Amino acid sequence: MYEASRRRPRPRLLPAGVIGVMAVVASACGGGGGNQSGTVTIKWYSYKEPGGSYDDAAARCSKASNGKYRIQLQVLPNDADQQREQLVRRLAARDSDIDLMSMDVIWTPEFAQAGWIAPWDPSAARAVTEGRLKPAVKTATWKGRLYAAPFTSNTQLFWYRKSLTPTPPATWEEALGAARRLAATGKPHLFQEQGQRYEGLVVWFTSLVASAGTSVLNEDGTKVVLERTATEKALRVMKEVSTSVAAPPALATAREDDGRLAWEAGSSAFMINYTFVWPSANGNAPAIAKDMGWARYPGIEGAGPSRVTIGGFNIGVGAYGKNKDLAFEAARCLTSEQNQLDAAIKGGLLPTTETLYDDPKLTQATQDVPNAATGKTQKVRSFPYADVLKATLKDAVLRPQTPFYNDVSLAIARTIHPTAGIDPVKDVDRLRSAITKALKGEGLE
Amino acid sequence: MDHKRAPLNRFLWVLGTIVVVLYALVPVAWLVSLSLKPADELSNGKFLPRSPTLDNYTGAKGVFNDPQFPSALRNSVGIALIATVLAVTLAMFAAYAIVRLDFPGKQFVLGGALAIAMFPPVSIIGPLFNMWRSLRLFDTWPGLIIPYMTFTLPLAIWTLSAFFREIPWDLDKAARVDGATPFQAFRRIIAPLAAPGVFTSAILVFIFAWNDFLFATSLTSTNRARTVPAAIAFFTGSSQFDFPAGQIAAGSVVVTIPIILMVLVFQRRIVAGLTSGAVKG
Amino acid sequence: MTTTAPPQAASDLARRPRARDAGTRAHISDRARAERRLGWMLCAPAVAVMLLVTAYPIVYAIWLSLQKYDLRFPADRRFIGLRNYGAVLSNSIFWQDLYATLVITVLSVAVELLLGFALAYVMHRAIFGRGLVRASLLVPYGIITVVAAFAWRFAFDPTTGFVNGLLNTDTSWFTKPWSAFTVIITTEVWKTTPFMSLLLLAGFTLVPDDLVRAARVDGATGWKRLTKVIIPLMKPAILVALLFRTLDAFRIFDSVYVQTRGAQNTETMSILGYNTLISRLNLGLGSAVSVIIFGLVILIAFLFVKGFGADLSQQRGER
Repeated sequence: MYEASRRRPRPRLLPAGVIGVMAVVASACGGGGGNQSGTVTIKWYSYKEPGGSYDDAAARCSKASNGKYRIQLQVLPNDADQQREQLVRRLAARDSDIDLMSMDVIWTPEFAQAGWIAPWDPSAARAVTEGRLKPAVKTATWKGRLYAAPFTSNTQLFWYRKSLTPTPPATWEEALGAARRLAATGKPHLFQEQGQRYEGLVVWFTSLVASAGTSVLNEDGTKVVLERTATEKALRVMKEVSTSVAAPPALATAREDDGRLAWEAGSSAFMINYTFVWPSANGNAPAIAKDMGWARYPGIEGAGPSRVTIGGFNIGVGAYGKNKDLAFEAARCLTSEQNQLDAAIKGGLLPTTETLYDDPKLTQATQDVPNAATGKTQKVRSFPYADVLKATLKDAVLRPQTPFYNDVSLAIARTIHPTAGIDPVKDVDRLRSAITKALKGEGLE
Repeated sequence: MDHKRAPLNRFLWVLGTIVVVLYALVPVAWLVSLSLKPADELSNGKFLPRSPTLDNYTGAKGVFNDPQFPSALRNSVGIALIATVLAVTLAMFAAYAIVRLDFPGKQFVLGGALAIAMFPPVSIIGPLFNMWRSLRLFDTWPGLIIPYMTFTLPLAIWTLSAFFREIPWDLDKAARVDGATPFQAFRRIIAPLAAPGVFTSAILVFIFAWNDFLFATSLTSTNRARTVPAAIAFFTGSSQFDFPAGQIAAGSVVVTIPIILMVLVFQRRIVAGLTSGAVKG
Repeated sequence: MTTTAPPQAASDLARRPRARDAGTRAHISDRARAERRLGWMLCAPAVAVMLLVTAYPIVYAIWLSLQKYDLRFPADRRFIGLRNYGAVLSNSIFWQDLYATLVITVLSVAVELLLGFALAYVMHRAIFGRGLVRASLLVPYGIITVVAAFAWRFAFDPTTGFVNGLLNTDTSWFTKPWSAFTVIITTEVWKTTPFMSLLLLAGFTLVPDDLVRAARVDGATGWKRLTKVIIPLMKPAILVALLFRTLDAFRIFDSVYVQTRGAQNTETMSILGYNTLISRLNLGLGSAVSVIIFGLVILIAFLFVKGFGADLSQQRGER
C-alpha cells in the first residue's frame, strides 16, 4: 500500500485537501453563529437493532452533545461475517467516513493490529470499562490497551422442556442419556445446536473446549494449545450429539434460527441458543413457552461447570476518521448504562454493565408479545433468566484472541464440519496443524 | 417434409414447446409467488401463496423501504448504462477499423479481445482492489464501470464486427470518392446503418453489467456504489438471526421484470447478436 | 457471466486472414498510410482499456504473489519468492477446491450440451411457437445469476421450498455434498443451457436441409441421420460452445456463493480466491491463487485449441 501510493501520484489528494480546508473554515465560521451549522456528523456503522434502540441512542446522544455532533447510523448487514467483510474492505481503503463502528467482540485484535481503530487513552478507558463485566472488557482489549467501548454482551443458555426433564441435565452426557430415554418412549427428544460451517459452530466448539479444561490458543494468542485429552473429550461430545438420536436431521446446516424454528415446532427436548428464542416462543408457540425452562450451559462430565463463549458488540473509533475526539465522546455516550438498558429492553441485547443484571428495571422488565395465531398481545417478562446470564457471563470464555482470528475461526469450522464426521483422535492433530497454518497467514481456509 | 406427419407428431411438438416454456418460467414464477407470501406462509412448502400480499414490496420491511435496495437499484441502472455507452462507443470505433480499414495489428486486437472473453475475473480482483484503494476508486461508480466496460468490450467488438460486415460496401466507398474523409464516411453513412447492430450489442453489454456479482461485491461496500446483485446477497433481515427470504424474493422480482421485458421485446435482436456471427462470420 | 463470450469468435478469428485485402493494395500511398493511422487510432482506446484493466493487473498479481503481503499487517510486507505458491499447492484445500470446480464444470457442461442440443433442435424444427420458445429461453439467459441462485436455493430449501413436496422427500439438500452439488449444477444448467442452445441453433443452420433429406431418401434412420450427417456438420459450433461454456463454468462464483458459500466441499476456485483476497485481505497468498487460476484457464483453452483446432479449420474448408 505504501509503495503503491508512493509510486503513483495521488490525483484526489489536492481536491480532498481543499475540501478539508473548506470544511474547517466552514465549521470555524459556523461555530459562532449558532449550533446548527457547527454540528459535526459522526457516522456510526452498525447493523440495525430492529427494536430501534440504536436509533434512539444515537438521537439521545446527539441531543445531549448540545449541537457538538450528530450521530448518523449507517446500516450494515445483519450477518456478522458480512459486517466484518464490509468494514474491513473500507478500512483497508483508509476510508475516513467511518467514525464509529459496532464491532463484534472477536474483531478487536485484528482491527487493532492493522491500525484501523484508535486506542483509548487511559482516563477515557477507565470511564467506559468501570463496572463492566471482566470478560467483556477483555474482548475490547489488545496488548494491554483498550480499543473499544464495551456495549452489549451475549451468551447462550441451555433450554429444556420442564414436562420432559423436570430437573435439567447438568452435562452433555446426561442430556444425551435423557434424550435416548425420551426417544425410547416416543417423546420429543431432539437437541438443537448450531452445526453449520460458520461462526456459530466455532462458538459451540470454543465453549466445549473451555468446559473440558483447555483452550484453543495460549494467553498471548501466538500458539495452539488444545491439550490432547481435553480436546478429544470435547470433540467426542460433539460427535456423539451429532450422531445420536438427539441429532436434528439438518444439523449440518443449522444456525440459531433453524434451532428456534424446530424448537417451536415441538419436536425438541433440549436446545443451546441465545435468549431471542424466549420472546419468540411466547409469540409463536405459547404452549411450548409455558413448558420452557432454562439453565446454565451443560458442562462436560468430570470437568466441572461449563465455561461459555461470550459474544456481543463493542463500539470502536475509526482510525482514519476526521473527528476522533468527538467520536470517542459519542462512543462513551452510546455505551452508557442508560443506552445499554434501553438496548436490553427494546432489543433484548444483554448489557455489559454488571449491576444492571440485578437492577429491577431489567429483571422486572416486560414486553408485549403478539400471539402469532390470535394476534392478541400479552405481557412477558423479558429477562426472567438474568441471574443465570450474569453467572455465566462472569466467568465466560473468549474466542481465540489473535489478529488472525478470522483465519483461525474458518480453520476450526472447516476441520470439524460436519460434526457427525468428527474423528476425535485424528481431528486434534488436524485442528492443530490447520490453526498453526492460519496463525502464519498461510491458511487457505 | 413434415406436413404429412400425423397429429401425434404435432401433439409432441406442442408438448415439447410447453415443457420448454415451463422449464424457463417456473423458477421465475416461484420467485414471484414467494415474494407475495405473507411471513407466516413462507415455510408452508406450497408453490402458491394462499393470501397474497405486497408486504414484501411496500410494507414496513418491504424492499422499497429497505435502507439499501432503492439506492442499489439506482446504482445498478446508472453504472450499467454508463458502462454500456462507453463499451459500445469504444467497440464501435474498433470494429469499424477492423472491418473497413487495412492496418497491421488487426489480428492482435481481435485475438486480445478473444483472450479477454476467456479471462477469469477472479484473477484480477485482488490487484484491482489494491489499485482502487490507492486511486480512491474503491466504492465508487467508476470503480465498477471500468471493469464492466473492459470485460464487455470483447463481446461488443465481435458482435459489432459481425454486424458491420453486413453493411453494403459501396455506400462507404461512394462517400469517400465524393471526397469525404474516412471519418466523415463513418459518421454520415455507416453510423445510421450500423444502429441495429449497435443496439444489439448494447443490450448484451447491459445484461452483463446488470448481472455481475464478483466485482460488485469486491469493489464496493456501501450504498454509494453497491449494485443490486450484491445488495440482494447482503439483504438485511429484521433481526440478527432472521433470514429475509420474502424480501429477497421481492427484490429479485423487481430486478428481473425489466430483464424479462427487455428479452421479450428485443428477443430477435438478442438471438441475432448471439448467433449471427457464428453462422455468417 | 455467460454473456461475455462472443460466440462467433473462434470460427470468426480463423476466417479473418482472408477478410479484406485485395483491391487497392497497389498504391501504398498517403491514403493507405492515413488509413493505417486511423485504424490504429480507432482501436487504441479499446486496446488501451483492455490492456490497462486486464494485462496490467495480471502482471501486478504475479508481482504480489511473490510477496508476503497482508493488508491486516501492512508493516510486514516483504519479498518471499515462490513461498506463497508452495503454501497454496501443498494445502489439501486447494486440491479439494480444484476437484469441486472440475466436478461442477464437467457435469454441468455435459448436461448443458445434451439439453442444449435438444432445445436447439426444438427451436430449429418447431412448426409453431418458435418465438415463444425462443423468448422463454432468453429469460434464464437474462436473469441475474444471484437471483437464479436464490430462486433455486429457496426452491430446494426444506422449509420454504416446494421441491421436497414435489419429490415427496424430506432431504436437506444443503447438508450433504452430493445434494448440494446437485442444486448448484441444476442452477448452472438452468441458467446457461439457453445460451448453449442458441449457439447450437446457429450450428443447425449450417446443416443443409437437402443433405438431411438425401440421407433420409437413402434410408438412413433418424439416429443415423443425427450421428452421421448432422453432428459432424455441426462440430465447429459444438466445439465453440463447449470451449466457452467450459471456461465460463470453471470460474463459477455467484451461485456457489449464494447457495453454500463453499460449505459441504462445494468451494470452487473463484470462491477460494475471493475468500483469501477480499475476506482476508491476504493479497500475497490470494494473488498466488489468482495466478494459478489464470494458468489453469490458459491450460484449458490451450488443450481445446490443440485437441480440436484441426476440426475447426477442416470444417471451414468444406463450407
